[in-house]
Amino acid sequence: MGLYKTPGIVLRSMDLGEKDKLVTLMTEKFGKIKCVAKSARRMKSRFGASLEPLSYVHILYFGKEYQTLYQLNQADIRKSFQHIRENLDKLYRGLYFVELIDSLVTEGHPEPQLFDLLLEGLETLQEGNDLEPLCRLFELRIMAGLGYTPRLDLCISCKLDPGPGELGFSFLRKGVLCGPCTRKYQPETRITPGTLNTLRRMLSIEIRNSSRLKFPRGMEEEIGAITRRMVLAHLGRELRTYAFIKNMALV
Amino acid sequence: MKRPAAVTELLEELKRLPGIGPKTAERLSFFLMRGSEDQARRLAQAIIHIKEKIVLCSQCHSITDKDPCEICSDPNRDRSTLCVVEEPHDVYIFENMGHFKGQYHVLMGVISPLDGVGPPDLTIDDLKRRVEQNNLKEVILATNPDMEGESTALYIAKLLKPYNVKISRIARGLPVGGDIEFADSVTLQKSLEGRMEL
Ligand SMILES: [Zn+2]
Ligand SMILES: [Zn+2]
Repeated sequence: MGLYKTPGIVLRSMDLGEKDKLVTLMTEKFGKIKCVAKSARRMKSRFGASLEPLSYVHILYFGKEYQTLYQLNQADIRKSFQHIRENLDKLYRGLYFVELIDSLVTEGHPEPQLFDLLLEGLETLQEGNDLEPLCRLFELRIMAGLGYTPRLDLCISCKLDPGPGELGFSFLRKGVLCGPCTRKYQPETRITPGTLNTLRRMLSIEIRNSSRLKFPRGMEEEIGAITRRMVLAHLGRELRTYAFIKNMALV
Repeated sequence: MKRPAAVTELLEELKRLPGIGPKTAERLSFFLMRGSEDQARRLAQAIIHIKEKIVLCSQCHSITDKDPCEICSDPNRDRSTLCVVEEPHDVYIFENMGHFKGQYHVLMGVISPLDGVGPPDLTIDDLKRRVEQNNLKEVILATNPDMEGESTALYIAKLLKPYNVKISRIARGLPVGGDIEFADSVTLQKSLEGRMEL
C-alpha cells in the first residue's frame, strides 16, 4: 500500500452509489488517476466543494501500485476558479480543456508538462478575455505535449524553406508543405504564410501570454482548421463540450 | 441441476434493477418463492400500475396519476411563483418541507457538457414558454449547488433575462448544523456572499 500526495486538477466527478463519488484527476506527479471519495455525496462531506470539475486541489490518496482505482483521503482547494464558473463562455471552454485532457491522456503515466498546460490554461482563462486564441493555443500545445508537434520550419517533403505564396498542411504527415510540393501532393488544407508564422509563434509562446496572439480576420478560421483538426484527426471523434462553446454564442 | 426457467427469468429481470447484483437477486427471488401467491400478485400489479397509471404532468413535468397534477390544478397554490428543480423527486422533497406554496417546473435533468446533455434534452424550452404565457412574478432556480446545477441556473437566468420576471437562486453556503471550522474555502465564500441582514 502506498500513500501519495500531489497537486491535481479535477477533470470529472461522478456519483458512485448513494454515498460516494468517482473522481478523475490530472495530477502533477502521477498523471491521470481515478479515485473513490467515500461519502463525498453527503451534504456535510469533508470533501465539500473540492471535487467539482476544474478545481485545483492538493490531494492525499492511497492504494496499491499499478492498480487503477485509488481511495481519496483528502482534497484541499488551492484554486476553485470561481470566475470561470460564473461565466458560461469561460466555463464551457474550461470544460473543453478538461475534456481534451481526459480524452487524450492515458491513465497512470506522469505527464507534468500536460498538467502545467491545464493549470496555466485555466489560470489564463480565469484572468483573460481573448478566449478563442487561448483555445487554439491549448489544442496545438496538447498535441505537442503528447509528442505530435507539427513540423513548421521546413517543408516536410523537400526539406526546403516553405517561402511565400500559398502553402499546404498535411495532417497525415503533420507538417507544412511548400508551394511546389503543395501543387504536387495536394494535401488536405491550404494555409497562408501569415498563418504559418502565427502557428510557429504558438509553439513557443507562454500560455499566459496568449492574449498577445492577435488573429487577424480570416486567419482565426485557418488556425482553427489546423489546430482543431489535428486533435480530431488524432482522436477520431468530436468533443462533446465543443458544441456548447458554439451554441453559447447564440444565447 | 439446472434452475427452472421461470426462476432464471425472474433473476434476469431483478438484476436489471439499479443496485441489485446476482446475490441480492437470488435472495429476493427466494423470498418471493416462499411467500404467498397473493403477495406476488400484489407486487406484480403495483409494478404494472406505475406504468399504466403514472404520467408526466403536461405543465410541470412532475410524475402524477392525473394530468395536470395535484399541485398544478390546486387553485390555492400561488401561480405567480415557479420553483425550477432538476428531477421529479425534488418536487416531493420540497413538498415534504411544506413551506413552499408556489408551483414547480421539473427540468428532467441538468445541462452537462461533459456528458453531452444540452438544453434541447431538457424541458427548458417549455419553461421559457410558461414564463412567456403566464404572468409570473418570480422564478426560483433550485438546481443542485454543483457545477452542472450552477451552470444550468446561469443558462436559464440568461435565457429568461428579456422577460419581466424576478429570477432568484436558492442560497448556497454552510449546511445547518455544520461547523465553520470544517468548511472549505468555496463554501465559506458562498456563505459570505449570501449573507442576510438581521
Ligand atoms: Zn517542398
Ligand atoms: Zn404539474
